[in-house]
Parts: sequence; C-alpha cells; structure tokens
Amino acid sequence: MVGKKSLKNKIIFYVLLMLVLAFVLIPFITMIGSSFKPDQEQTALPPKFIPNNPTLKHYKGVLNPEIFPFLVYFKNSLIVAFLSAGIGVVISIFGSYSFARLEYSGRSIIQRGVLIVYMFGGVLLVIPLFQMISKMGLFDTRTSLVITYIVQTLPVSLYMLGNYFRTIPESIEEAAIIDGCSRLEVIYRIVLPLSAPAIVSVFIYAFMIAWNEYLFASVFINSSSLRTLPLGLNQLFYTQHYIWGRMMAASILTAVPVIILFLSIERFITSGLTFGGVKE
Amino acid sequence: MKIKTDQEAKLGYWLILPTVLAIGGLILYPVIYNLWLSLHKVNMNPNLPNTFIGLQHFVEVLTDIDFWTSFKTSLIFTSTTVVGTTLLGLGVAVLLNRKFPGRSIVRGIILLPYVTPVISAAFGWKYLFNPVFGMFNYVVVDVLSLMPQHINWIESPRYAIFAVIIFNIWRNFPFAFLMILAELQSISGTLYEAAEVDGATGWQKFKHITLPELKFVIGALVILRTIWNFYKFSEVYLLSSSVEVLPVYIYEKAFATYNFGEAAAISVILFAFVLGFILYYVRKVLEW
Repeated sequence: MVGKKSLKNKIIFYVLLMLVLAFVLIPFITMIGSSFKPDQEQTALPPKFIPNNPTLKHYKGVLNPEIFPFLVYFKNSLIVAFLSAGIGVVISIFGSYSFARLEYSGRSIIQRGVLIVYMFGGVLLVIPLFQMISKMGLFDTRTSLVITYIVQTLPVSLYMLGNYFRTIPESIEEAAIIDGCSRLEVIYRIVLPLSAPAIVSVFIYAFMIAWNEYLFASVFINSSSLRTLPLGLNQLFYTQHYIWGRMMAASILTAVPVIILFLSIERFITSGLTFGGVKE
Repeated sequence: MKIKTDQEAKLGYWLILPTVLAIGGLILYPVIYNLWLSLHKVNMNPNLPNTFIGLQHFVEVLTDIDFWTSFKTSLIFTSTTVVGTTLLGLGVAVLLNRKFPGRSIVRGIILLPYVTPVISAAFGWKYLFNPVFGMFNYVVVDVLSLMPQHINWIESPRYAIFAVIIFNIWRNFPFAFLMILAELQSISGTLYEAAEVDGATGWQKFKHITLPELKFVIGALVILRTIWNFYKFSEVYLLSSSVEVLPVYIYEKAFATYNFGEAAAISVILFAFVLGFILYYVRKVLEW
C-alpha cells in the first residue's frame, strides 16, 4: 500500500513540476523559437514554438549596424551600467564599513534613514528629478542616468556588504591596527581582499538593475545615439523595425548577458536576498 | 583612548558622507521638491519660473473622473498581483521543498523570469498574446473554445489588464518562492515527526506547523509587493500602455501632456495612500 501511495504522490509531484516549468519557460521558448523563424512563419497559423526552417538572419540583422542600432544601444547600456555600478560599489564599501565597524552618534538613525529609499518608487521621483536634471543642464546625457541609478541600488548594496564585513573577524583588523595600520589601510589591505566575492556580487546586482531600467531613461534621454537597450528597443517596436523575429533576437541578446551574470552569482544573491534586503 | 574614538567617529562620518549626500540629494530633496511642484503651476520649460496656486491641483485631481478610474485600475492590479504572486510562490515553494534529482537546476530556472530584463520578457509575452497569431489566443479560443473570438490582449483596455496581471505574476512569483523556500528549509523536521506520531494528516501539518512558521515572511512579502506594485511602471507600460494604473497615468500627465504640477500632485496622493496603507498594515496586520 505504501508503495502505491508514494508512486501516486510521485506522479502528482512531477505533473505539478512540469506545469510550473511550462508556465515559467513558455515565454522563453516562444522568444527563442521565434528569433529563428523566417518571416512567413512568424505569423503562421496554427502557431508553433519550433521553426520549420530555422534561420540566423534575424541575429545577423540585429548585429548589423547598418540596419539596426543594437550595438549602439548595447554600448550605452554597458557604459551606464558599468559606471553606476562601479561608483555605487565604492560608495557602499565606505558606507557599509562605517556602519559595520565604526561608532559614532547618529549611526543608527542614518542606518534606518537609508531604508526610507524603499518608500519611494521611481515614479514618485521622476518628475522632480527631471526638473533638477534639466536645470543642471544634464538633460540628454548619460551622466544623468549614472547619477540616478547609483542611489537606486545603495540600500541593498550597503546591507549586503555590511553583513559580509561583519563576518570578518574583528581580531584581524585589531591586530593590523596594533601593527600600525590606519583604518583606511585596514579597509584597503584586509577588508577588500577578504570581501572580493561579496563586492563582485554587489557590483553585478547594481549592474543588472541599471541594465534593466526604463522609466528614467525614457524621460532623461532624447537622442537616439544615447539610448540604452530598454529604451531603444521599445521605441524601435513602434517603427519599421516591427519585425517579430528581429525584435525577439534583440530581446534575447539583451537578456543573455544579464542571465549569465546572474547565474555566476546566484548563490550569493539568493542568500543575500533571503536575509531580507532587496530593492526593485 | 579618547582621542582614538574621536578619530574613529570622524572617519565614520567621512565614510558615510557620500551615502548621505546621494540619498539626500537624489531621494529626499526630490521628494520635497515634488511636494513644492504640486503646489505650483509648473512651466513647461524647466528654466522658467513657476506660479504658486496652492491646493488647486489637488482639487482638480480629486474631482477628475479619470483619476478615480486610474485609481481603481491600480487597486485591481495591485490586489490581484499581490495575492497571485504570494500564493503561487507559496505553492511552488511547498512543492519543491523536498529532495529530487535536478533540484538546484529547477530552482535556477524558476528564478529566470525575475532576472530577465523587463523589455525582453515583455516582448516575449506580447508575441504570446498577439491577437492574430499568438499562442495564447490559439489555445484559449481555437483549442479550448473558452472565448468566442480572438481577443486583443495587449491593446484592448478591457482585456489588457488580464495580460498585465498574468505577466506581473509570472515575473514576480519567483521572489516570493525564494523567500518562502528559505523559510521552509529552516523549519525543524522534528516538529513534523512529532505531528506524524500524533497522526496528523498532510493538510493538518501544513495548517498547524508550516503556515504559522511562515507568518512573518508572508507578512513581509505582502507589504513589499504591495508597495512595489503600487509604484510599478515599466512592467505595466512596456507590455501594454492601455492599462492606466496610477504610475502610467502620472507618466502620461507629466511627459505626454506636460502637466507637471498636476502629475506631481497625483504622485503626492499616491505616496500618501501607500504610506497610509503601510501604517495601517504594520499596526493592524503585523501587530508590531
């Protein structure tokens, strides 16, 4: 009897598992399949996931600068995400070390103050930031995006790095101070090397958020030569580039770098997330 | 030692200064500035002066039927997606909280919707939901005959909200899944063994052991998802701009019709509503 019951449970489990995986994966399968379909198959009925005559022409089209500005957008996204993540990580290394190891009055108030960032979504900030950016003469520059993105990821970066710094035994740092190192040297010589995996993960997290951002980019950027991927692809959708295969190929090429980065730090990010700190 | 702690404190302030400046300049100041803008007739050219008009924008907004329609859309969108992401995340977490071959790969796959850029995922779903050749219409209308005819899931304001809700649940349930799974794994097995000795059924174990242990994480997930989804812009707008939740309404007021002052007033109202919800929820539901 027990065997029969556990077999039944097993079947139910695998059926449910397949349903969950189908729900998760069908959009991806659709995108991948469609990116290899020739044009006449895109709109064929009944719809199919897998192309009959797969073609690479959409990928070639996307990567050809004469027909599609994908590489320009890719470069802009790369610059903006790299700079904002880099500057953000430096700020959060200093800030989280200050929270984790140094004592001063007002520290816990500042620490809690950082959390209020959670209370304000991008849509509450976009109007005043647009006015500020325009007044500072930064409208239609990549700089406007870099400075906006830095602050969006700070709370999580501070939280994750602070937690990591606290796991470094304080005795090592004290020994170095007794040997004559200053606090800054301690950070540079001991904390940074020991925290390399955490720092890389925080950098990648911030990079992904910047890579994905649409709202601020759509408001701050006007020139097509400065558009980032989300902005550029969305605008192309409404032009003559409305070719499904090409849009799908561009979507996949936008997603792949981020998915690879994520998989490389999955373990760290997921344990960091489950300790409670996250910001979308 | 006194001098040393003074130095330490000084260094502490210096190191936290960039964070304070960034958050002060790019979050706190804009929020206050937004409040100021909401009380002014804002010039289309940001370099020209604005005129103070008091609460006029707020009166206009609160008597505008379009605002209330949008408010209702936001309430429907947020409540359905909060319930949907949390229940699906809970269900999948309970399902996967056992040992089976390929478990870590499955977990990685389930996180994919959450990490894929919104723009890519939105294009995939737009293709699925296409009124003419999309797989969704084909299955629902042609194969299962649940609907009499093909529906424009992306552009029809009446139906697009379903597409947006499904898309949001698909994208965000992995987050709930991850948090709940982590909590499930920390529940001690001896509790279940003791319950089994007492003859508890699977459902009784779930109700009396699992759910109480998950109370805190589910409470936190609900409040975070509520805040995030009330402010959600890109995931709605990039799939279908015909679903006018409040953030989309604000965006179009500000950047399509250049009515900055009124848009600022709507965002103040949105913030006040979310703040009110948080205070109520923390007191009454979480009982902190």
